[in-house]
Amino acid sequence: MDSEGASETGEISKIKYQKSKLMSPPLAGLFQRASDCVGFHNLAFCILIFALLSGCDRKDSFPNRPIRFICPWGAGGGTDRISRQLAFLLEQELGVPVNVVNATGGGGVTGHSRGARARPDGYTITMVTVEVNMLHWRGLTSISHKDFRPVMMVNQDAAAVFVRTDSQWKTLAELEQTIRENPGKLTASGTAFGGIWHVALAGWLTTIGLQASDVTWIAASGAAPSLQELMAGGLDIVACSLPEAQVLLKADKIRCLGVMADQRLPAYPEISTFKELGVDWQLSTHRGIAVPAGVSESRSLAIENAVGKAAKSKEYLEYMASTGAGAAAMGSEQYLSFLEETDKAFGSVFAGPSFKAFQHRYGPMLFPAVLSGLLAICLGACFVSGSLRSISKRDEISRTAMLDMSILIGCVVLYIVSAETIGFVLSAAVILLVLFRRMRVKSTIAIPATVLLASLVYQLFAVGLRVPLPRGFLGW
Amino acid sequence: MSPILTALQNVFGDPQVVLIVFLSACFGVFVGSIPGLTATMAVALLVPITYWLDPIAALAAVVSVVACAIFAGDIPNTLLRIPGTPASAAYANDAHNLTRQGKSNLVLGTALICSVGGGIFGAVVLMLLGHQLARVATSFSAVEYFWLYLLGLSCAVVVSSGPKLNGLLALTIGLLISTVGLSAVHSKARFTFGVAELYGGINFIPAMIGLFGISEVLNSLLAARRPALERNREFTAESAETAEKPHNSGASALSAASAVKQEFEDPDRKTSSLLGSGAGMLFRRKGHVLRSASIGSLIGMLPGAGADIAAWVSFAVSKRFSKKPQLYGQESIEGIADATTANNAALAGAWIPALILGIPGDSVTAIVIGVLLMKNITPGPDIFAKQTELVYSIYVIFILANIMLIPVGLAAVKAASRLVRIPKAILLPAIVLFCIVGSYSLNASYIDVTVMLIMGVLGFALERRNVPLAPIVLALILGPMVEERFIQIITGSDGSFTGFLNPQRPLALALASVFVLVWISAVALGTRGQRKSKIKM
Repeated sequence: MDSEGASETGEISKIKYQKSKLMSPPLAGLFQRASDCVGFHNLAFCILIFALLSGCDRKDSFPNRPIRFICPWGAGGGTDRISRQLAFLLEQELGVPVNVVNATGGGGVTGHSRGARARPDGYTITMVTVEVNMLHWRGLTSISHKDFRPVMMVNQDAAAVFVRTDSQWKTLAELEQTIRENPGKLTASGTAFGGIWHVALAGWLTTIGLQASDVTWIAASGAAPSLQELMAGGLDIVACSLPEAQVLLKADKIRCLGVMADQRLPAYPEISTFKELGVDWQLSTHRGIAVPAGVSESRSLAIENAVGKAAKSKEYLEYMASTGAGAAAMGSEQYLSFLEETDKAFGSVFAGPSFKAFQHRYGPMLFPAVLSGLLAICLGACFVSGSLRSISKRDEISRTAMLDMSILIGCVVLYIVSAETIGFVLSAAVILLVLFRRMRVKSTIAIPATVLLASLVYQLFAVGLRVPLPRGFLGW
Repeated sequence: MSPILTALQNVFGDPQVVLIVFLSACFGVFVGSIPGLTATMAVALLVPITYWLDPIAALAAVVSVVACAIFAGDIPNTLLRIPGTPASAAYANDAHNLTRQGKSNLVLGTALICSVGGGIFGAVVLMLLGHQLARVATSFSAVEYFWLYLLGLSCAVVVSSGPKLNGLLALTIGLLISTVGLSAVHSKARFTFGVAELYGGINFIPAMIGLFGISEVLNSLLAARRPALERNREFTAESAETAEKPHNSGASALSAASAVKQEFEDPDRKTSSLLGSGAGMLFRRKGHVLRSASIGSLIGMLPGAGADIAAWVSFAVSKRFSKKPQLYGQESIEGIADATTANNAALAGAWIPALILGIPGDSVTAIVIGVLLMKNITPGPDIFAKQTELVYSIYVIFILANIMLIPVGLAAVKAASRLVRIPKAILLPAIVLFCIVGSYSLNASYIDVTVMLIMGVLGFALERRNVPLAPIVLALILGPMVEERFIQIITGSDGSFTGFLNPQRPLALALASVFVLVWISAVALGTRGQRKSKIKM
């Protein structure tokens, strides 16, 4: 326990106390009422205890507290697995916990935005994926690689084209022939519209002088469901990376017609590249570690050193080899120029005519429109049949109950608004005290209960389960 | 030596493995019983540790965490009406209403024993039929999934209490909410109002915590401010008049507290009764349990369907064959028994496509494939031939983990039951805090907390209008999947609706006809019920 933390909180409560005396009468009255509601003495007392319990270790060295590692994709996916593997190795290098947070959704928008907008103090790092070069061209977000300071690229996987083993196509040329003869008849998938594997397929088609729309792209949420659909006979072609299709490929259920890389992949030496097959088209997905753009040189370097060691470690290389993924350790400068290059390439793809193929006929509002119609019918029927009548008169909400509920809602809103500034423990304590007060719990019970609950929950989630609870100015 | 013997020796011969199963079971129960922390998250936390374990120990850890986490979801579901996992949401009302009558021991005992029974059944199915079933799983394409999802959604409406029309309304509301965010198919923003955080859509876990948890706290606050006399009258009236009563959780937490207090202070009704009631239920309903476990294994085996749909479908089938269908969605212990059996049986099912095809059925098995690859074991059709011992070890671990669940689950139930004995004035604020932390911790996002709050108020308002909440949760989960399949089919068939009823896909036609049958019978039963109640009036 450091005395600094305790004195800091002590001073704050003193200042607040003096303020209440100095304020103009109506304001002071309001403050008095507010503090009555919380039990101001109780709060001050709780803060003191928290300061004693939490222990604030404030060294100047970096890093001295847990690092948040944002993964823009869901738990269990390829990106998540690489993130967790790296996080585990980084922990050993940096000596502080590295907590993976899956900020999923929006095809990567959520995670990348959160990673780019995080406080640039080096305590938030992001697993940046190829989408950082794509999303902004499609107008989905303003975040691009310019909002990040690249640290190191850790993986690169080239796209490949797959068909079922029992299909008629043995080579890429045969597939090309069929597409030429029956434009628009074949179906393909691998990801959503305009996703990386869609661009890969469309790029191949335009390179060989066909239209991107000559193969009907059926959007799917990822490679795994697309492969399942391919197996079930719902698709003719799947475009995705080799590690994603590894199991089915090894089981000889699907056939790879070529990989969109400039050299054969070390894990799959038997698969020919598009270049060898006479098609000048390459595309790969990449993953790398980045920090927000404003992070200082020294901290970025500290992270780069640690990531560098982790990404070259035996464990990491073994792991990547076992999944068939390409382990590509690329330093920050090289990574930056790589990102810039890739970004330009995607810019021309999305500005070009083939992007029109990504505009979908059955638009995003079709399903909501169908549902709205159903909702309207439902509501109408409900009103006609009277099934929505309130349960009974006895159940009317009294004024006090209304106040209770508003206070409860207010407490949750308070957390949403203030937790990031004042930290989890304090906001939890305020919520508990207010609600205990409202439920007429004696302060002899309320204070210990608050202290116990707030610190217990903090210990449980933030320390035990590694959930990054909000850290305020006090660090807890 | 036969592979089964080797497998037994691998698992039981190594004290490390047994210890890991025990520790993982404790960890799984602990994480699963905290709303907002999912089985997937628990497994993901384990991944770095599994690197240091040998393959069997690593798989033991994953299997036991998952098997135990799904049961643990029933604990907060029963005691506080906050489903710990979405698989529990199907019977949230039933479980909690029974708790209010002081039958929490019966509910949790039944849930525990049926979970174990279902889990073991699932493992045996995996052992005997795994290879053959995998072939069925591969024949599911977009059309079959589409009808299966619709069937799951219909089940949620059919099992809900009150008028079916209100259930349908809840379902539609849930589906509409699920369209918020970037659509999986088009990656286009919908109803996000420029908030980038909403691109990810409305996550069903904070929504579930809000819909059930916060709305229940609001209900309790409302009840607490009602004059004491009326409260008493309502409570007695409630216990007397059980059948077909619109759900009203007015006096819930208060009466639950007093009821459970009585139950636990009664010295004769301790551990033995908890297990006894569960085992009694299992043996009395052998046939039903077998049926539910089969449904669970079948649905669990399909990639992307999983334990959630299994619980709902089994609940609906159970209602169809029950002598007391009017209790379903209100306080049906039979429904709880069948649904918990099914969702645990589904767990082992999800391993079939993962092991044999390398296609993950859910996020947990996706992690499992990662662990296997890390250990240089490639899943695939030949895994049964090449890695026979390993595969049998997985079955043995499944069975061991389920047996381990009995003592660990029992201890957790005992510990958790004390929760309800805490005075309401202290419990309610604590529940609010847990709802906040639970929804925040999933993604470390304030949007999730906001979603939780809004859903809480919405749930409270809807329940006062006699609209069931459980269909909203399932709709939130399945909404994006239904849309994806819908757009896929309509793109594939070039805009014509014949794609939905393709004569070349008999399985899809069969599922579609079951779907139609479900609705015909629901409407027929519904109108008959209405007529009956009108005569009564």
